[in-house]
Amino acid sequence: MKGAHQVVIENKRLRYDFTIHRNITVIRGNSATGKTTLIGMLSLYQQDGEASGVRLSCDKACVVINSVRWQENLAVIRDSIVFIDEDDHFVKSQEFAEAIQASDNYYVIITRDRLPSLPYSVTEIYGIRVSGKYAGLKQVYNEFYRIYGNTADAEKADICVTEDSNSGYQFLKYALAEHSSEMTCVSASGKSNIPAKILALKDRHPLVFADGAAFGPEMERVDRLREQGFHLLLFLPESFEWLILKSALINEGEVSRILEQPEDFIESREYFSWERFFTDLLRRKTNRTYLHYDKAEINPAYLQDSVSSQIVAEFPEKVKKLLGIYEKK
Amino acid sequence: MLHIYFGDVVGEVYNPSSYFINQYEDEWITDDLSKEMIRDVDRSDVVSARVIDSPVLGAITPRELSGGVKTLILMAFDESGRVFNGSACGDNCAKWILKIAETKELTIALHNIMDFGKGPFQIHVLNTDKVVTDGLSYVTEAVQLV
Repeated sequence: MKGAHQVVIENKRLRYDFTIHRNITVIRGNSATGKTTLIGMLSLYQQDGEASGVRLSCDKACVVINSVRWQENLAVIRDSIVFIDEDDHFVKSQEFAEAIQASDNYYVIITRDRLPSLPYSVTEIYGIRVSGKYAGLKQVYNEFYRIYGNTADAEKADICVTEDSNSGYQFLKYALAEHSSEMTCVSASGKSNIPAKILALKDRHPLVFADGAAFGPEMERVDRLREQGFHLLLFLPESFEWLILKSALINEGEVSRILEQPEDFIESREYFSWERFFTDLLRRKTNRTYLHYDKAEINPAYLQDSVSSQIVAEFPEKVKKLLGIYEKK
Repeated sequence: MLHIYFGDVVGEVYNPSSYFINQYEDEWITDDLSKEMIRDVDRSDVVSARVIDSPVLGAITPRELSGGVKTLILMAFDESGRVFNGSACGDNCAKWILKIAETKELTIALHNIMDFGKGPFQIHVLNTDKVVTDGLSYVTEAVQLV
């Protein structure tokens, strides 16, 4: 499945109106916000259609599955938005991760569990809130809101932490040295190790660079540390490859169109996370050129002044300032 | 005291809503503690053991209470010795879990890092056998276990 899909579901008392943007959406948040009620309304509609008294509007089928024969059910569900309630333990299993990786559905999972096997985005973790009565009627209107908003709130950083030691880390290390920044750069050896790395750097002010497209499972732990006074700044672009594509080094209309509305181009069956899509796109666009891209080891061409400065230009101003990196004129 | 095990517990009730529906007793609903928790978390009023007035859903039965409140009521009144999944509760249930654990030894499983605030409190982390008394030490333990 591709694209963003609006879902409106309502009965006489409740109305939910939200848009699903990519293959995995996670809903969590406080109790009694209507998460299970949403699943209940979808289940009733699935069972009896409009005769249930529930109205559903979406350009894709909306399906609820539970732990009963979930594998068999998933095997026959195609091109649908699949909703799963928080009581269903199977979403934590490796089998579930493997099953949804190869499917063309989108998944909306209600859970507070971390789900480290699923590469969901920090931007696709939502809570549900009441936004008032709908159209003046006695109908409560529920909307989704992003749980993790602005992440650039630190005023100081003295060490960079990257999730691995691949090209992004190598580039950053080079850029810091090139700009005579006093900042050092360390790898956490895996995104799931980032919270432990932050703990180990307790008296420092780390700036964490990670792929936002798959950082969802780590976000609660990092956020809890920040709430408890750990000084850290998060820079979570979709991925390092996304930054390069955005930098206009690859000056193609197609790339611009993709970056403007990625969901319209990323087929969920082919790409488990957007990070993988952007890596693939960059590889394809630079194949047989001097900028050919290798994720494991940075091509030295990216370290040339004229190239690196274009990538650095895509860093937010605040991040550049904290890193001590300034664009070369 | 509150005892927390981070991760899966053998025999854990992962789906407390289902357990509640099949095991709750009328007296649990009309207890003052339940009434307070239902009012605070679900913003609903207990009319009688079998009727609750919800501002959104209208008249409901205890079966339609939120998963969080059902779990809190089980933590407070169930005497089976079962370990309930605390992650069925949102952060708005945390203060009630601490309150319930003031009067009994309460063991729960957590699969996320519930926000218990800055403290002070007494939480025994079973994985490491440490007692933590403030938010910082609780989170420091939890991030390494979830």
